Amino acid sequence: MSSIGLPHFLAVGAALFALGMVTVVTRRNAVGILMGVELILNAANVNFIAFNHFVEGPGRLTGQVFSIFVIVLAAAEAAIGLAIVLAIYQTFRTIDVEETDLLRE
Amino acid sequence: MPFHFANVLVFAAIAILFVLGSLVGGHFLRPHNPTAEKEMIYECGEKPIGQAWYNFNPRFYLIALVFVIFEVEIAFMYPVASVYRSFIEKGQGMLAFLEIFVFVAILAVGLAYVWAMGDLEWVKGLKQDVLKAAREAREQPRKAA
Amino acid sequence: MDNLASLRFFLPESILTVAVLAMFVQDLLTRRSARRVVYLTAGALVWLAIVAFATLQMPAGTASLFGGLLQHDPLRMFFTWVFLGATLLTIVIAPNSGQISPNRLGEFFALLFALVLGMYLMASASDLLTIYLSIETVSLVSYVLTGFRRGDRKSNEAALKYVIYGGVASGVMLYGMSLLYGLFATTRILGEAGIAAQLSDVTSRIFLAHAFGGQPAAQLALIVAIVFVLAGVGYKIASVPFHMWCPDVYEGAPTPFTAFLSVGPKAAGFAVAIRFFFATFERQLPDGAFAQVGDVPWPAIIGIISAATMTLGNLTALVQTNLKRMLAYSSIAHAGYLLMGLAAASAAGVQSILVYLVIYLFMNVGAFLVVIAVANARGGEQISDFRGLSVAAPVTALTLAVFLFSLTGLPPLAGFTGKYLVFAALVQRGGFWNVILAVIGVLNSAISLFYYAKIIKAMYLDEPLDRTPMRVPRLYTGLLVALAVPLLVFGVYWGPLVRWASTAFGGPTPI
Repeated sequence: MSSIGLPHFLAVGAALFALGMVTVVTRRNAVGILMGVELILNAANVNFIAFNHFVEGPGRLTGQVFSIFVIVLAAAEAAIGLAIVLAIYQTFRTIDVEETDLLRE
Repeated sequence: MPFHFANVLVFAAIAILFVLGSLVGGHFLRPHNPTAEKEMIYECGEKPIGQAWYNFNPRFYLIALVFVIFEVEIAFMYPVASVYRSFIEKGQGMLAFLEIFVFVAILAVGLAYVWAMGDLEWVKGLKQDVLKAAREAREQPRKAA
Repeated sequence: MDNLASLRFFLPESILTVAVLAMFVQDLLTRRSARRVVYLTAGALVWLAIVAFATLQMPAGTASLFGGLLQHDPLRMFFTWVFLGATLLTIVIAPNSGQISPNRLGEFFALLFALVLGMYLMASASDLLTIYLSIETVSLVSYVLTGFRRGDRKSNEAALKYVIYGGVASGVMLYGMSLLYGLFATTRILGEAGIAAQLSDVTSRIFLAHAFGGQPAAQLALIVAIVFVLAGVGYKIASVPFHMWCPDVYEGAPTPFTAFLSVGPKAAGFAVAIRFFFATFERQLPDGAFAQVGDVPWPAIIGIISAATMTLGNLTALVQTNLKRMLAYSSIAHAGYLLMGLAAASAAGVQSILVYLVIYLFMNVGAFLVVIAVANARGGEQISDFRGLSVAAPVTALTLAVFLFSLTGLPPLAGFTGKYLVFAALVQRGGFWNVILAVIGVLNSAISLFYYAKIIKAMYLDEPLDRTPMRVPRLYTGLLVALAVPLLVFGVYWGPLVRWASTAFGGPTPI
């Protein structure tokens, strides 16, 4: 296979998705976890752009428009996430998620 | 439109050459007059060496959070700008303009709110109610112990 | 329908947008006023009334809005009334709850309206893009409102957990949507070239199979995509395995918002689920029954999730000592009961969900209202704080007993009506596994009696904590009675409710 086709892009997307998941599960730093979430969102973005090019075809922009909205929402989510992390730091003096454990059964 | 791996290779090579070239070129062109401050790695005004676990000034965060919103606003403006001509040709130029105007106006109300609440002040008194609540929250476990 | 013509059907949402901005502006204008709480509450109620009026003026029938992004139909209208009810109760409860500082009440109302806007969009979304955007709108605002009590450790911690779980769930859903887009080359669900049309069209399915290397591969990709999309919806309705945020968020969030969260977004999540699954994988036959298309075993997936959700919710609720937390697990269990109606994959099943959601609105908000009243008077939300409530506040205790028995599903209360309709829909649909699921549901209801009865025992039989009459605001007492009475009425006379639900979805059914 000499030319780059849909499978290559999908593989990148799947790898990003898996890396994001691993980051979310293993990180203890709240900011690190939020970065993992960004990876997951961008994995989907890669898929959207690739499918737009290879499946939906030229002249149609559904996938690209979708990815712009995802970028915006990712930014909004990061803003809110960071604001909450900031609030957590002001009250707990740490952003380690294993030490913020007041709420337990 | 075939897309070969060779393109990627050329792209990567140019990228590496660009960085190397500017570093090497800079080395021969610049005057050599080091001081301790200049020798430090540039890290946006923060101390680059030592533990990363010290307190960043939270003011940066607040400004950055507001900035992010207006940054992504641009992501919506570009597509609108690129199809705006076709709206004018259809005679709906004013409509498209109004739509994007409403969008910006909604963001502007948010900005006005942040401004009026004093969250954009660089030097500010901490809000007393927040401070008090935080202090009480910190003292609670101590009392229980 | 093109964008300009669609605006007429988009009026409530437009007004909600204006209301969000107006509440922010009003908050700034009344900042120095001593009577700001009154002004802000009145302002919020006026805006809500305008939205309700605009919703009332919506034309009947169905229409596809904004080129297929949104769908206007009776189902949407049904859900908007549930949302409006939940919002009205929250606006009335919030100012006196003692959990939201008067300085920030305007902000609270503004964000609440933004949340309602998101839920309105969820109820009508018929494109993957609008589904994602509306779910995210609701989620983002919910994070902020959960962490609304600045400086309160529990509130902040709940918000952090909510953001993390929510971010992952929405990311997974988005990935599933990208796969769906790749399979069908469109994000529209309805319409000529939409996903639904492609699934039922044989030639395009052959094309799909070809494009994805054989039928089994395409089928597998489709099922993976559906399961991923279900993650986002399951997270909104708090079903297993996306329920982990629920107890922490319910406990940490300001209680008026917890009450709202347990009914509003949950109902909106079901609106999305109903529209997505029924529009995509089911066809209504002329006789009113539904037939499956596309060979996706979605009722089985939902059924398994439903059984796991209610069992886990009920078993964990048994050991809780904090009433807010127990109600959170009970809310997970109720998501399980509601999913049973979806698993039935019939018009009767969906109608039972609709009826159940209306009843759930009354009983759950009522239960949380009692929690607020007791927490304000006695300073705690533990079950031990409810000891001897029947002596200190007889009316409050009696209404809480009504809400809890209704949540259990005991006749003649309305909770029984909801459960009866769900079980009946499942049994009517027939099939071995559906009956098994109904039996699991009945067993779970029996388990739930244990923990609900624990509170009732504390209120009526335990040694009173405090014999002096407990102070409950007159507004709250009135609201409690107003919420409890419909439960008694709907428990014996549910005809109008069922008729309303049947006009909303699928037409009359034999139950």
